[in-house]
Amino acid sequence: MNQDKEPKRIVTLKVNGEEHFVAVRDGETLLDVLRDRLRLTGTKKGCNLGVCGACTVLVDGEPQNSCLLLASSCEGAEVTTIEGIAQDGELHPLQRSFIHHGAVQCGFCTSGVVMGAFALVRKNPDPTDEEIKEALSGNLCRCTGYKRILEAVKNWKKYQKSKEPPSHSFDLDKFTTVGRSLPRVDAADKVTGRAKYTADYYFENMLYGKILHSPLPHARIKKLDTGQAARLPGVKLILTGKDVPDITYGVSPARYDEHVLAKDRVRHVGDEVAAVIAVDEETAEKALGLIKVEYEELPAVFDSLEAIKEGAPQLHDRYRNNINTVVDHHFGDIEKGFAEADHIREEEFVGNHVNQSPIEPHASIAFWQNEGSTLVLYSSTQVPHYVHYMVARVLDMPLGKIRIMRPPVGGGFGQKAATTPLDLITSIASKKTGRPVKMVYSREEMFLYGRGRHKQHMKFKIGVKKDGRITAVQSRIYLDGGAYTSFGVITAYYAGSMIPTLYHLPNYRYEGFRVMTNKPACGAMRGHGTPQPRFAFESLLSMIAEDLGIDPIEIRLRNAMDPDTRTCNDLDVRSCEFKATLQEVRKKSGWDRKYGKLPPGQGIGIGCGGFVSGAGYAIYRGQVQRHSEKKPETFVKKAVFPHANAIVKISEDGTAAVLLIQAAEIGQGSSTVLSQICAETLGISLDRVRIRTEDSDISPLDLGAYSSRTTLMGGNAVTMASKDVLQKLFTTAAGIWKCDPQDLEARDNRIFHRSDKSKVIDWEETARLYFNDKGPLVGTGWYKPPEGLGGDYKGAAVGTSPAYSYSSSVCECSVDLETGKVKVERFTDYHDCGTPINPQAVHGQVEGAIVMGAGETLMEEVRYGEKGNILNPNLHDYLLLTIKDSPEIFSGIVDSYEPEGPYGAKEVGEGATLPVLAAIAHAIANATGVWIKELPITPERILKALKEKKS
Amino acid sequence: MYITGIRVHSPQTVAEALELLADLKNARILAGGTDILVDLKQGLTKAGDLISLKNIQELKGIEKKGKTIRIGAFTTPQEIHSNSLIRQHFPALAEAARSMASAQIRTLATIGGNITSAVPSADLPPSLIAADATAELRRAESTREIPLFEFFAGPRETVCRKEELLVSVRIPLPPPYTGISYKKFTLREANALAVASAASRLTLKNNKMEKVTVVLGAVAPTPVLAKKTAGFLQGKTTSQNLFEEAAALAVEEGKPISDIRGSAWFRKELIRVLTLRSLAEALERALGKTGEKKNSL
Repeated sequence: MNQDKEPKRIVTLKVNGEEHFVAVRDGETLLDVLRDRLRLTGTKKGCNLGVCGACTVLVDGEPQNSCLLLASSCEGAEVTTIEGIAQDGELHPLQRSFIHHGAVQCGFCTSGVVMGAFALVRKNPDPTDEEIKEALSGNLCRCTGYKRILEAVKNWKKYQKSKEPPSHSFDLDKFTTVGRSLPRVDAADKVTGRAKYTADYYFENMLYGKILHSPLPHARIKKLDTGQAARLPGVKLILTGKDVPDITYGVSPARYDEHVLAKDRVRHVGDEVAAVIAVDEETAEKALGLIKVEYEELPAVFDSLEAIKEGAPQLHDRYRNNINTVVDHHFGDIEKGFAEADHIREEEFVGNHVNQSPIEPHASIAFWQNEGSTLVLYSSTQVPHYVHYMVARVLDMPLGKIRIMRPPVGGGFGQKAATTPLDLITSIASKKTGRPVKMVYSREEMFLYGRGRHKQHMKFKIGVKKDGRITAVQSRIYLDGGAYTSFGVITAYYAGSMIPTLYHLPNYRYEGFRVMTNKPACGAMRGHGTPQPRFAFESLLSMIAEDLGIDPIEIRLRNAMDPDTRTCNDLDVRSCEFKATLQEVRKKSGWDRKYGKLPPGQGIGIGCGGFVSGAGYAIYRGQVQRHSEKKPETFVKKAVFPHANAIVKISEDGTAAVLLIQAAEIGQGSSTVLSQICAETLGISLDRVRIRTEDSDISPLDLGAYSSRTTLMGGNAVTMASKDVLQKLFTTAAGIWKCDPQDLEARDNRIFHRSDKSKVIDWEETARLYFNDKGPLVGTGWYKPPEGLGGDYKGAAVGTSPAYSYSSSVCECSVDLETGKVKVERFTDYHDCGTPINPQAVHGQVEGAIVMGAGETLMEEVRYGEKGNILNPNLHDYLLLTIKDSPEIFSGIVDSYEPEGPYGAKEVGEGATLPVLAAIAHAIANATGVWIKELPITPERILKALKEKKS
Repeated sequence: MYITGIRVHSPQTVAEALELLADLKNARILAGGTDILVDLKQGLTKAGDLISLKNIQELKGIEKKGKTIRIGAFTTPQEIHSNSLIRQHFPALAEAARSMASAQIRTLATIGGNITSAVPSADLPPSLIAADATAELRRAESTREIPLFEFFAGPRETVCRKEELLVSVRIPLPPPYTGISYKKFTLREANALAVASAASRLTLKNNKMEKVTVVLGAVAPTPVLAKKTAGFLQGKTTSQNLFEEAAALAVEEGKPISDIRGSAWFRKELIRVLTLRSLAEALERALGKTGEKKNSL
């Protein structure tokens, strides 16, 4: 290695009781030594600056961030990592408690959290809530909302003695597996550090890459000199724009406008200019500094409202006035609607640019197999199939020659819903070097890559009758898209299309403009395009309720959507228990006792939301095939290919069912939910099901974890594949008994005759008999959304879905009227997710969404300097809620059944975010008497509004 | 994000450390590393030789010597917060230490680092200054002790000379009827820098405020000794109105800037509120209603 020139010293590290002698440079951190040298990859690198806590280990019993410790100064220290707390194959009680409380989702922060908790309970076995929160205040979790972490630590002793966890009450009894809060199938791997994420993989002879990012917001590249960098020992390859295919990529098919590396122009600070591939990351990083780039700086624009003005700097020739997408939707007749209204109110709202900030940074590793003919790409992605498709496009090769591997993903929330430069650069560079190439984003690069929530300027106007019934709604929205399209076309449509799903809107007009600015591209973040308009709409509806003296929950009930309704924009709602969510939160939160009766500084507010359960149409058009072989395809109102596909393969001895489906487990729990559906349908216990999702060679196509689609679409495919297996088994069993297979049923690992109780046979015995006679027992299944979804207008496809979720949230907060500081005290949420497959997983999604939503309402915002540079590209200045900031949460599920969903289930992942923003804004308004219409609602904005009101 | 080209020296005694400081050009001190390693990783600072204080026992621990409490420069916020002497005599300092960053950082950072980094938002200096703390600076042949307030020269600048080392902070035991309080405003409850902070100290005698100190943090390049505010209160009998007037005066003494955490306007508002609240709590403590409290709002 190149770094050999720097002197090294041998340090003795005692890690988990074992001595290691490691030669380290003085600058090496303990984290890097643990991971890269000792391959103890359970300790994670999340921010590398001592903020996220994912790298927490115990050093002489104290919890510390291993990224802030020099290995050279740990001589003789006792280091304990996550791998060291289970003893003799027996999990520590704390680990068991985490598993059974559902305190684990993506698992990336989990090692650090468990270590922090481990340090605490060793010294203080009975910690109070406050002590737990204090001990874990340096561990950021983006998934769970912290509630179950707190409970897991509080109750850890209950898991001390017996191996068996305390029994859980189950929410439903008509099924054996579905409907039960069973522990996640991947939790044990995640609490022990065994789960291997993309960056935890090491391959022999592997090289490492880093990207040179543009320091300027807008410039032409005049000269690029890589000579000196190339001469640095250890540098193996340098790629620039001329070395990558002249093929654009992106997400929205109509606007592929990105190149793997800039061809001649950069459009935001962070745009990719070149990549260095070297023997290690340090060398690659060093070489970046030796590349000389001469830029001709171009005028830049950073504000969407400035960018559309005549004479503003233009980002792309094809987007006139920087307008990337225009939507003009008009349903019914708003003029007539407003004419009928007794009361009309119009307000302007401004959203914020939010970054998803999963704790796991993006990572990719690529290498080529089979004499260089087959690409293997490991990617930390939510959408392995779309990565598959896009890599095939850029490299112009058949999809069949590419194998996508998707190890566990440490959170995505939309930031990993598109093909990244890492995916493409590693693929290209590994081909050119003939060696595996690994690339991992730093936390700063995650911000430079962007793809966060669009900042939206929104004008909303609602007309109502005296009784609060809505007669017309009009909105005009400018979305700040950043420098490229990414998902943006879809985002612009979503910003309008989801508004009519919640309430009956007889007349509705939406005008949307997505605008290009010299900032990182925005993309799809949890709730894709809809949380900010929902915040605006809900806030305005609450204002109107107060104008008219109608209770804000009552006005919602009067307008609430009913089941089996076609919305004004031609979306078909089937199950809908929106009204029930409203009634339940009203009861549970004590709304009627509190609303309007709280002292100054305390407030209560309501917000509602709803979301799709999977997009009705795939992102790209036409067949699954090599892009350059595609014929131009016109849009047809049906799925061309199945969006989810599953294979259930039974082991030859009949004791295991292996479920193969590419559905992306990103922390949301899809692997568990799909396994439960598989077990239930097959009639076997969950411990007999193993799911394999990570390998495209093994598991059939699934479109991935976006648009809240996995439970419904993947679940339907799994049900069908499982039934396929069952039919084969029933035929075998019916052959023994000479009965009609239709009369058979499978349950509790047995197959039996419904009316003749004497006819019972073990499930695995039947499967063995099948195998003896007919060979492999395999079932296949697939799911296509219903045909004909959506209207016939331009953009009608966006917002279509087989089913819609609904939810209502009540927020209670207190506000310090002298400083504007908000404490979110309590959230009460009810969700209509259909019939839940795993209630604990549903609650986990809701709790996580509330805490994430509270973050974006109160403190999260990517901020830019005058030259388009990001001022807070780190987790120290970009503020996520900590466990100490997080509210008490009650999450409830209303009775509902979605006929299109597996076992009646529909979505929860994204929809749970939607009510949060307005619920908090309303609670703050209720506490302070001032409505803040700009996000985030910072103490400063509140204080300013209070002062203005006073004067 | 890698730290390259550094060499860490690990002296066992202060004398060895001072020798290294004198011998090595541009050597920097490595205490807990929670600031300098972050800066090195981000390329915000360069360093060749780092002198680690980790092995120097003399720099560790808290002890009472006569009427003074001495805190070694290499003492962590965790140790400060959990130390019974500090909790008894300087609850405000214990709270300030407990409010810092996160549990992980508090076992790693040091009081010496928190002071010598001279970051305007640092949590420990305001209450230390309010308590009349001094800094013990040692060089090869001599030691000098200066009021901690005089230690700060600008943002990330101090009067500590190149060959000097901060070895301890000394705090005189407070006279009877003294109360100190530290209040800060942060944008979140952990791992957040103070947007503004205020420490107040009151010593009462015959129902009057015999000695008053008000220190403002994060509202100027260095901690601000709000002399007019203190002078206004000195010798007077305490009252809510008086405290409110004093808080308004304190606003004039801060010189806040606008940055990512808040505007100058907002910081001025905070100075008023924090000064008022810290004065009220200092009074409670001076009157014997002591005990630890939460110091962030």
